[in-house]
Amino acid sequence: MKKREAIWFYIMISPWVIGFLVFTLGPMIYSLYLSFTSWDLFTSPQFIGFKNFIDLFTKDRVFWKTVKNTFYYAFLSVSIGMVASLFIAYFLNKPLRGMRTYRTLLYIPATVPVVASSLIFIKLLAPDTGLVNRFLALFGINGPPWLLHPAWVKPALILMSLWGVGVGVTLLLAGMKGIPVEFYEAAAIDGASSRQVFFKITLPLLSPVIFFNLVMGLIGSFQTFTEVYILTRGGPNNASQMIVPLLFDNAFRWYKMGYASAIAWVLFAICIVFTAVIFRSSRLWVYYESEVKRE
Amino acid sequence: MNIKIKFREKYSIYAFLTILSALLAAPLLYVISIALASDETTYLAKFTLIPQEFHFENFIKVFQLDLNFTRFFANSLILVTFAIIGQVLASSMVAYGFARLNAPGKNVLFIILLSTMMIPGEVTMIPSFVIFKNLGWINTLLPLIVPNFFSNAFNVFLLRQFISRLPIELDEAAQLDGLGYFGIYSRIILPLIKPALIAIAIFTFTWNWGWFMGPLIYINDFNKAPLALGVQILSATSSSGQVPPWNLVMVGSLMLTIPMLIVFFFGQKYMDEFGVISGSSAIK
Repeated sequence: MKKREAIWFYIMISPWVIGFLVFTLGPMIYSLYLSFTSWDLFTSPQFIGFKNFIDLFTKDRVFWKTVKNTFYYAFLSVSIGMVASLFIAYFLNKPLRGMRTYRTLLYIPATVPVVASSLIFIKLLAPDTGLVNRFLALFGINGPPWLLHPAWVKPALILMSLWGVGVGVTLLLAGMKGIPVEFYEAAAIDGASSRQVFFKITLPLLSPVIFFNLVMGLIGSFQTFTEVYILTRGGPNNASQMIVPLLFDNAFRWYKMGYASAIAWVLFAICIVFTAVIFRSSRLWVYYESEVKRE
Repeated sequence: MNIKIKFREKYSIYAFLTILSALLAAPLLYVISIALASDETTYLAKFTLIPQEFHFENFIKVFQLDLNFTRFFANSLILVTFAIIGQVLASSMVAYGFARLNAPGKNVLFIILLSTMMIPGEVTMIPSFVIFKNLGWINTLLPLIVPNFFSNAFNVFLLRQFISRLPIELDEAAQLDGLGYFGIYSRIILPLIKPALIAIAIFTFTWNWGWFMGPLIYINDFNKAPLALGVQILSATSSSGQVPPWNLVMVGSLMLTIPMLIVFFFGQKYMDEFGVISGSSAIK
């Protein structure tokens, strides 16, 4: 009986096992090997040792710029998005009529596929005719040339990411609704101010949701591709080039498969390091209800 | 909650949320306005926020281009349909295995499964391309569809949680009635996890409908492109010095967005059950 169960276990999970071997483990080993080669896809790969990594870290200035751009974009878009979501969710959580409608309205932009929103933002951010600069002009502000200027292109991309703020709002709001009313009632009896309630009750109890959002948001932003590909192609002067579009260009435009694989592994390392750092530090600031706080 | 909200506070909250909603809705209104603009307005880029012209024929014109939008639509539908079938079948099977059956090595395998969620897809992108190229699958939808039939760690995890919550007595009773493990999966478990399967179907739809990078890598033949790639091609193919037909590009963007909205409105009920998880559909 036990043996039959074990056999059925392996039959049932076989799709994942096969998929894991063929589409994950095998490709990972192969891509690790490729990162030590020079390969143009047509001739056979040449083993060149650590040359790709040495070139990446010592010679390739575009790569460093790319890493910096990616971090700049990821940290600012995730942190600004987080604060904005918290702020908006806090208001939406008030027991007022019509809050569901507002929630739906705010979420709608997040349903727009990235291809469509990128194309939309090309028009919105056009220097003279775009809606954003015409709106700024109403207040007498001379809008910047956004996507065409090295200093403004990253803020433009961050602005675009904020259009999808509804995702974070929905997530945090669900977390806020999960906080037991008793906590708020007890606080009200004790005469806590609304500021105290927010910082001493809502925020700590929400920290697991914030944590989840932060990890997923950062890893997701490190992998930004479509926005850059459609809006800027990395320009002007590589000011908006990011890791994945650079990887794509190396692999599928210039057929430098080995170099591109090396970039992929650096990206992987970055994701692991950040996940580990956030996980380790989470003990200090994430509060789980079932846990007794370690002193 | 019986915490009273002051009159002034109440109206400032409404004012804030209304302004915010208006700001977030403005880009969509602008898209509609561009989509309905005449070719001349498009050429001069004299768009208005509130639609002033109503050239609904743009929605027909987009299907009469050299680029075959009917094909784009059909390709997207094929891609999404098979992706959903694959994910629902494979992920539920694997999830049932992990939730209900015992075997040596199960825990290790589950930890491996969970850790694969942390691997960015870019790491396996080049070798996967090589595999599919050697199979002769370039310029087909197969590289985009087939991996779905091998499940996905996130969906498996979600469904496993859902199945674990069902009482084990169900399985035991079915076993006494002579049902085998596959029978329990297909006749007892599957019907009971229908809401979760619908949620999986919605996630899979969301991920695949707007997916850009995969089609960009595997499809060079314009007739094989899904809609997301097709709309981008339309915005980029105008010969140099020529302005892209922005009104038609925005019609395409709307066609790309509307099915997402429909799924969002009809799926909201199921997504609410998955409150915490629904947000991660943002990772496209």
